Amino acid sequence: MNKKTLLLGLFIVVVIAQLYVPAKMIWDKEEIIETGRLYKFQTEPIDPTDPFRGKYIVLRFSEDKFKVTDSTAWQTGERIYLSLKTGAKGYANIQSISKSPPSNKNDYLEAKVGYVDVFNGGQPTLTIEYPFDRYYMEESKAYEAELAFRDSRQINSTETYAVVIVKTGHSVLEDVMIGGRSIREVVKANRENEVSN
Amino acid sequence: MALHNDIAELLKAGVINTETAVNIQEYYKQNRSSTTSRLFIVFGILGAILVGLGIILIVAHNWDELSRGVKATLAFLPMIVGQLFCAFTLLKKHESIAWREASAAFLFFAVGACIALISQIYNIPGDLGAFILTWIILSLPLIYVIKSSVVSLLCLIGITFYGCETGYWSRTTEDTYLYWIILLLILPHYYLLVKNTPKSNFTTFHNWAIPLSVVTMLGTLADDHTPLMWIAYMSLFGIFYHVGNIQHFDQQKLRNNGYKITGSLGTIGLLLYLSFNFFWEDLGSYDINFSELIASREFWIATILSLIAAGGLGWHFKNNQLILFKPIALVFILFILTFIIGIYSPFAMVLINLCVFSIGILTVGVGADQDHLGILNYGLLIITALVVCRFFDSDISFVLRGILFVLVGIGFFTANYLMLKKRKTHE
Repeated sequence: MNKKTLLLGLFIVVVIAQLYVPAKMIWDKEEIIETGRLYKFQTEPIDPTDPFRGKYIVLRFSEDKFKVTDSTAWQTGERIYLSLKTGAKGYANIQSISKSPPSNKNDYLEAKVGYVDVFNGGQPTLTIEYPFDRYYMEESKAYEAELAFRDSRQINSTETYAVVIVKTGHSVLEDVMIGGRSIREVVKANRENEVSN
Repeated sequence: MALHNDIAELLKAGVINTETAVNIQEYYKQNRSSTTSRLFIVFGILGAILVGLGIILIVAHNWDELSRGVKATLAFLPMIVGQLFCAFTLLKKHESIAWREASAAFLFFAVGACIALISQIYNIPGDLGAFILTWIILSLPLIYVIKSSVVSLLCLIGITFYGCETGYWSRTTEDTYLYWIILLLILPHYYLLVKNTPKSNFTTFHNWAIPLSVVTMLGTLADDHTPLMWIAYMSLFGIFYHVGNIQHFDQQKLRNNGYKITGSLGTIGLLLYLSFNFFWEDLGSYDINFSELIASREFWIATILSLIAAGGLGWHFKNNQLILFKPIALVFILFILTFIIGIYSPFAMVLINLCVFSIGILTVGVGADQDHLGILNYGLLIITALVVCRFFDSDISFVLRGILFVLVGIGFFTANYLMLKKRKTHE
């Protein structure tokens, strides 16, 4: 085998890897969307920028704390598994937390311990870092989305939540909703209202 | 045209013969064609980088009118175009540096754009370090398969950014061992560059990028015994200084010798920082448990780096290169001794100040000996920097500080004046 054929062979392997990795990312996420279970997480967002991936809104979740009995058993940055259930208002609640994936169910989510609050009203509390804290938006819409979100919570007290599909630890953040409508639709409608006014 | 006329004139005047005239013309012809191909390489690479970055920015706009399927398909488009360019280069243009570098640089950015777009589509979480790592790992083989030095440099920048992101900037700092593995994977390419094209621009850029990247990342290895990292850093600068003094690098222009400049400025910078009292006060209160210390990661890093630096020093001695002319080469050993003294006594601070002052004086001496204004003024600048640092120490009287400044000012003037005068007399 001459050098050129060898390099060409290696190049084909590189091309396959370069195509495989992004394709696998798409495949995994599509599989979760197709077969996972939908949860709604109550949120409050702000809008920063990523140098490569553009504008996004950061989501903070109402259900981001969990009381534990022993604070020393948990460490900041540690990987944890959340068992989820849908609460009375239709939003996701954390049922329990474990250090390994629960074996008896599929509806659990891999997350991280944000920090361990030792003195929270006498009982130690874990702050949860969810794996879906970014929602990417068209660059001109991210700031307007943040304003729409703020107004909806402060002025209208409208319910805001993230639609997340969960399957065996993994998740896909599918949409962010304000009062039952997609945040993209809300920004679009706000713009149309401004033009017509 | 002017050259052609000059040659004709010299030929007519009998200064050169016909053979010499033909040789001169051939020489300039070859030189011109190498300049043209160099320009072609530079513009090819710049073009590819700009188009690649442009695609990333267009992707970052986030076209939310497009459906998920369309966006996912579009994500692959620039990457496939880049792969086709690279395949064409491999098959038809493998000898052309411009084609190799430009197509590989384009593919590098196209891979980044592809992963970025997929991250957007599926709102994949915010870890910038993980994103860059995936990007670099997928692009790294291009260094060897396409033989691209631009991709090698871009990977170096990328892994350094990744290392900073995971080792310094993120809230929960993690180990950066992947940085060191990828750096090791880049080094064979660098070795070939140094061996085959020591004076090319790509080699020069690597001569700078590698020491700067390692200096940036060494700090991420610190754990619970951070004071030992000062020894590690001083020895690392010592190693770089020795590498920069190896004949291969030393005979190049100083501005191309990233190792020597990083080693020298790094050593002086650290010494100046350590010439203040606060570091030694902290070190004095540092509670040392020797068994823990010896088991610590920092101890081993500092030991290994110091041994390598000592090896470099020994090598220079063996090859009869006069160390006295290079006072910075010895600093790392003196610093280890000073550090040990500093654990028990604040006298170490005085030693550091003496050390900087001696290096300054010795450098001025070397500059005067070699009739080199640059080295002479570097020595004077070291002394000035030391005086400026002491200016901020409030426990030295204003009068003394004033006198020091005046003396250094006079020193600058006199040394430069004397050297210029000496040069004039020699002329």
